[in-house]
Order: sequence, then C-alpha cells, then structure tokens
Amino acid sequence: MLVEMKGITKEFGPVRALDNVDFKIDTGEIVGLVGENGAGKTTLMNILTGTYTATNGDVFIDGKKVQISNIRVANQYGIRFIRQELNLCNDLRVFENMFLADEIKNKYGLLNKKEMIKQSEMVFKRMNVRIDPESIMRDLQAAEKQLVEIAKALLFKCELIIMDEPTTALSTHEIEDLFKIMRLLVEEGVSFIYISHKMPELFDICEKYYVLRDGKLVSQGEFEDIDENDITEMMIGRYLLDEKFSQHTNSSREEVAISVKNLSGRGFHNISFDVQKGEVIAITGLQGSGRDEIADALFGEEAFSGQLIVGGKQIKPGSNIRKFMKRGIGLVPRMRKERGIHNDLSIYDNINMAYLNTKFKNILISNKKVHSRYINHKEALDIRAGSPRNPITSLSGGNQQKVILGKWLETDADILLFDNPTQGIDVGTKFEIYHLIADLAVEGKAIIVFSPEFPEIYKVADRCIVLYKGTINAVLGREELTEKNIMYYSTGANLEVENA
Amino acid sequence: MLNIKGEKYKDITAKFIFKKLITEYSFILSFVLLIVIAGIVNKNFFTWTNISNIFIQSSMIGLIAMGMSMVISAGEIDISVGSQVALIGGFGILVLNLTGSALLMILFCAVFGLFVGTINGLLITKGGMPSMIATMAMMGAARSIINHFGSGGPFTVSKELFGSFRLLAVGGVPLWGNVKIPYLMIIFVIVAIIFDIIMKQTKLGKHIYAVGSNETSARLSGVNVDLIKILVFAITGLMCGLAAVIYASRLTAVAAASAAVGYEMETIAAVAIGGTAMSGGRGKILGTFMGVLMFKMISNILTAADVSTFLNGAISGAIIVIAVLMQNYQNRKKI
Repeated sequence: MLVEMKGITKEFGPVRALDNVDFKIDTGEIVGLVGENGAGKTTLMNILTGTYTATNGDVFIDGKKVQISNIRVANQYGIRFIRQELNLCNDLRVFENMFLADEIKNKYGLLNKKEMIKQSEMVFKRMNVRIDPESIMRDLQAAEKQLVEIAKALLFKCELIIMDEPTTALSTHEIEDLFKIMRLLVEEGVSFIYISHKMPELFDICEKYYVLRDGKLVSQGEFEDIDENDITEMMIGRYLLDEKFSQHTNSSREEVAISVKNLSGRGFHNISFDVQKGEVIAITGLQGSGRDEIADALFGEEAFSGQLIVGGKQIKPGSNIRKFMKRGIGLVPRMRKERGIHNDLSIYDNINMAYLNTKFKNILISNKKVHSRYINHKEALDIRAGSPRNPITSLSGGNQQKVILGKWLETDADILLFDNPTQGIDVGTKFEIYHLIADLAVEGKAIIVFSPEFPEIYKVADRCIVLYKGTINAVLGREELTEKNIMYYSTGANLEVENA
Repeated sequence: MLNIKGEKYKDITAKFIFKKLITEYSFILSFVLLIVIAGIVNKNFFTWTNISNIFIQSSMIGLIAMGMSMVISAGEIDISVGSQVALIGGFGILVLNLTGSALLMILFCAVFGLFVGTINGLLITKGGMPSMIATMAMMGAARSIINHFGSGGPFTVSKELFGSFRLLAVGGVPLWGNVKIPYLMIIFVIVAIIFDIIMKQTKLGKHIYAVGSNETSARLSGVNVDLIKILVFAITGLMCGLAAVIYASRLTAVAAASAAVGYEMETIAAVAIGGTAMSGGRGKILGTFMGVLMFKMISNILTAADVSTFLNGAISGAIIVIAVLMQNYQNRKKI
C-alpha cells in the first residue's frame, strides 16, 4: 500500500499547525517522523487517521484520492494509530480489548468468545509473542500492552501502523524485542510510521526520515546519509542549538536555598541534593523514573519521608501545600491544561490564586490591587494578553504558562519548581521561558527544572540529576551535559554493564 | 474605573459590554423577554401586589438556590435540599411549640441545617463519595426520619403561636398607605446581595470557582479543596434551615411526607437558567437571582394560561434541559 499526503495545511484559528507538508510511505517501509514537540507530527498523523480534517491538501492511497473523515474510515483503509497514551480498557480482558467495537457475534447476536480468543491467539503466534488473550489488561506489563495494540492492528489486516513514542515506558530489552517484531512484520509488507525523540532508536529501526519544524517539512531522506547531529540541527535549527541561557556564573552562590536528604516515597527513594540560590538544576529521567513524583513531593502533593530543608528549617512530611507555599516554594506544574490553569476563570483570577492563599489578609478583594499586581508581572514576564478579564484560555499556551509563573512571583516564591514547563509550547515562547528562568536565577532564585527534553536541559541547567528507576543514577556537571550521557544514565546502561 | 496610573481601562467599550451581554449575561436578556411576555399575558403583572407575590413565592427556593449556586459552581450537586427542608422544618416546629420562641427556632434550624450540610460535605470529601450518591442517601434518610417522627402526618404550629409566627411570612415594612415591602422580599434580596459579594469579592468565592473549574490546579495553588466543598454543602444546609423557617411560617405546618418535595428540581432549574455551568467553575449570583424569579414567572404565566399545576415537574425538567443544552451549544461555539 502506497500512502501519500500532498500539500497538507492545517489551521487552528489563526495558528497554522501544518504548512504545505508532503509525506509518502510505501509498502514494507519504516519511516521516522521527527521534530520537536509542537512541530506538527501528531497533527499530521491525526489528519491521516481522520481525527482532524486538513484545511488544505489531499491524501492518496495507491494513487487514488481518498477522504478519511474519521478513525473508522482510516481503519477500513488499513491504517491504525497507536497513541502514546494507549487506548486500552484496563478492566477488560486482552481479547475483549482487541475486538472492542468490532466484536465477533454468533448467529444469535451474542458474543462469540471462542472465535475471538482463537483469532487473538493466532495473531500473537504470528508476532511470536506469548500473551494469554484471557488475562486482564491491568495485569500486563507496559511492553505487553504495546504489543496488544500492535496485535489489534494486525487483527484487522492493517497495513500501516503509526506509532507515537512507543518506547518511553519500555526497557532496553523490551525495545529490542519490539524492533524484532516490527522487522518481522515489515517482511510481510506492513509499514510503520515511527514517531520518536530517541536518536539511537530512529537510526536503528527506520530507513527514511521526515523532519518537521514549526509545521513545515524541513527535510527528508535516508538515515544512512546523515548522523545524529544533522538531524538534531534540522529539528531545532542551528542558530538555536548553540544558544545557552545559563550564563549566570556569578559567585554569590554560597547560600543553600533548598536541601533534600534521603527523600523517599512512591516511585523514588534516597534522593539527596542541594540547590543554591541563583542556581538552576535539572532533574531528568524516563517516564516512570520517579521524576513526576519527586516534583510533586517537593511541593507537598505527594507523600514522602526524609528531610526537606528550606531556608535552614525543615518542612515536615505530611505538611499541606500551603505550608510549602508559605516557605517560598512555587510549582509550575506539568500538563498545564489538566493541572495548571483554571480554564473557566479569568487571567486575573488565575494569576491571583496563590496570592490569596498566602499573603491575602483582608475580607474583601480589591480589584484595584489585583490589577496593579497584574500590571507589574505582565511587564516583567511580557505576558501578551488582551483584557485581563478574559478567560485564560484566550491566551496561547506560552502566555498561559507565564501567567502561572506570575502566580508564584506574586507570592515572592524564591524556590521555583518547573515541571516540564514547555510541554506543548511553540519554540519561540519556549525560548522566552528559558530566558525568564535564567533571569530569575540571576535575581537569586533557586530553580529546579524537571524535564525529559535534552535541548531544554542543555539550555538552562547548571547541573543535571539523572534518575533511573527512582534513584539518582548520575549528577552531570555543565561540561558533561550531552544528550548521549543523559540517555546513557537514564536508561541505566551503566548499571547493566556492571551487572554483566 | 481607573487603574493605578489613572488611565481608563481600555477594555470596557460598548462592544465589550455587548459581547459580555450575549455570552456571560444572556440571562438578563431572557429575564427582560420573560417580563415582556408576562406583562402581555397577565394584565395585573406590573402591580405591586403581583410583584411582591412573586418575590414571596420565590423566597424559599431563592435562598436554597443561593447555596445551590455555590455547590454547582464548585462542581458538585445537592439533591437532598427538599428533604432537608422537611426534616429541619418538622423539628423546628417541635422546638417552636416547646419553647414558644421563634428566635430559638430560627437558631435551631440554622444550626441543624449547617449540621446536615456538613454531613453531606464530609461524606463527599472524606468519604470520597460522588455528591449525587451522598446527597441521594441524605435525601432518602432525611425524609424517612421526619416521616417516622411525624408518623407520616404534619407538624403543626400550636394555636397560641400561630398568629405571631405567621407574621414573618405575611408581614412587611410599610412603605406608604397599604403598600408594604414584604419581609420575605427583603430577606431574599439581602441574602442574594451577601452571596453576590461572597462569590465576587472574597477568597471563599474565588476558591469555589477554582475548585469547580479544576480541582488539581486549585490544590496546586494551595486551595484547601476539601474544606471548600464541606463549606458549600454546609452553607446550602444553612439556607435549607432558613427556608424551613419560612416554610413553617407560610404554611404554619410541615407535612412530613409531602413538604418541599421537588425543591431540588426547582432550585437546580433556577440555577441552570441563571447561566451557571453545570460542570462548575462559572456562574453568577445575579443569574441565579433572576433565574429564581424567572422560574416563578414561568409557572405564573402557565397558571394564567390554565396549565395544570401537576405539570410543574415536567416544566422544571424541561427548563433544566433547555438551559443546559444552550450552555453546551455556546461552549461548543467557543471551541
């Protein structure tokens, strides 16, 4: 099956997410689709699978123009999209998941369990994996769940499988197994579009590449002809790659702002580190490495044991979030939409929320004071907004993030936690946020950035803590900060060598 | 309005006000429309007697709807309000007859209401129950307890107290001649103003909207989410207590099995036509205030048009559905 997308343009209101993109994949090919977050990869795939309709441009299958208006139509053409967050019902059995919405019925209209189990088994055999179709989805490993999704695709004679970051939750061995299965299927004529940030994997499994940047196709070709630096440059653009933001090598860094000793909790143990005033440290690790949990623990959202010393005094485990806030900690949470903003509320109310909980002492709120505080931070953070009475959703993602940051400037927080702060934010605003982080550090704030993205860490951090399975595997200084090092330590490769 | 530098806010223009009127304050348009219709259907509509009657009839639902506005803005729901009124009112009359003091009765009803509401709040927050289920349990339990103590029959205000106690419902502040402003109208308006200030100008109000809009974000801004939820249910309980006093005063009796049945529907309907989002996070007390009056006006119009009062439930149901469908339609347009 030859799938071609020609001149695809997609506009969301005034934002052009995709701009005249051409894409092509032939039978039995594995194509790597790369680009930074927000470059338009997922949008392009959503158009191919009918979740979005393109503003302009056409899709051709085997040379014939087709209209893919929804996911069912895409499935009928043999195209399946395996998303990063798997689409599985954890409480159902494996075979029930595989046949969800396409159940096999007997002549009385009741479910034909036997046939479904038999067909599931056949698919697993074809993939050469051992999964019991009758086991409950919840009991499966992350890697097995991934395989069930692939099996589901094969079950319905799927010829093109799109995989979005399939390996984030997998160990090195599991990734190798997955690649083996993919190669097996390629022999049979199945093709794959592989979306990933991980260079070694891309070079390992893919033949061709397509690079998107800011919604435009910037390059395409064969992986043979390029190396990792080439592709990173294409993704980010050279002019940006070289820019460093952590120039704040001032000497006033004697005072420890926050000190963590033997912090343990759900998903992390024995974490110890200090952050000095004016220092930016990054904490990174793969999904499930405890990165999210540590971020939450440092703000009292997640239970922990051990010592957390802020400004010389301990914050006891089990204290509520207001205690953390009053001691000068502020959190810019990950997943802005779900955890950061109040989308029904105005910009005023959003930026004011933390202030109300820490500093506000009166009975009635004065609109005048709210406004004057807002104006101060609007200028400092360069928030581009119309009326502050408008809902926060009227702003772009980056400006929403600045409002959330402003929330903590209102409380005069001097320890700022940034948990994946540039998720889903366009490149331009990303850099503004990096500048803000650097500026805040110069002002003497202690900053911890939790991030999975190397370019981001490289740009802002003075030091980087790399987590592996809930413990600190390495602390990298400025000169040791390379993507390779981070990948090496976050996958626990050093430990595997020692064990072998 | 001026900001610190003394410049005028640039954003308050005629266009801005018009846009707000259509999007956020559309209930004002429906309110005006309804008044015009009512004026046409009912020739006596614009008389003081009729208007004060509408306020008197709305006052009970009105008080409860204020609490319900908070509950719904916080993203929850309370369907036990009718049963709460019956429970609190029944016992309240017992207290009145026993002590002979209306003041003690009012105090009792207020405290009892706070207590019942707090139980609702605790079940939902500390017990982790969906509010629909917790308040449904309360709805059944409260009604059954008052039925048990009244053996199914009514609690009646004793003869000697009858005259003075009824004054609350029928009395008023004389304006001139025979015209007076009913106490219930004054109470309703004052309570509405207090709620409006709470929701707009206090920490509690901002926190209620924050919790209803996004609980996680609220918690991560330091909002005590559980406390806010307990408070909104307790305040609703308090309002049910006050409504129970008014009920007892207007009818001088609380029939255990049938008192205040269907109040949950009427209050939710009033909140819904007032433009409060059923998903929480958005809503205005002015909207609920007008919503309550609109609801009464609609049923008055229908009574004038000879529609059976048995259809009241169908009408509240239809109002909720239409109001929420319209909200959804508006939200979809925004995306």
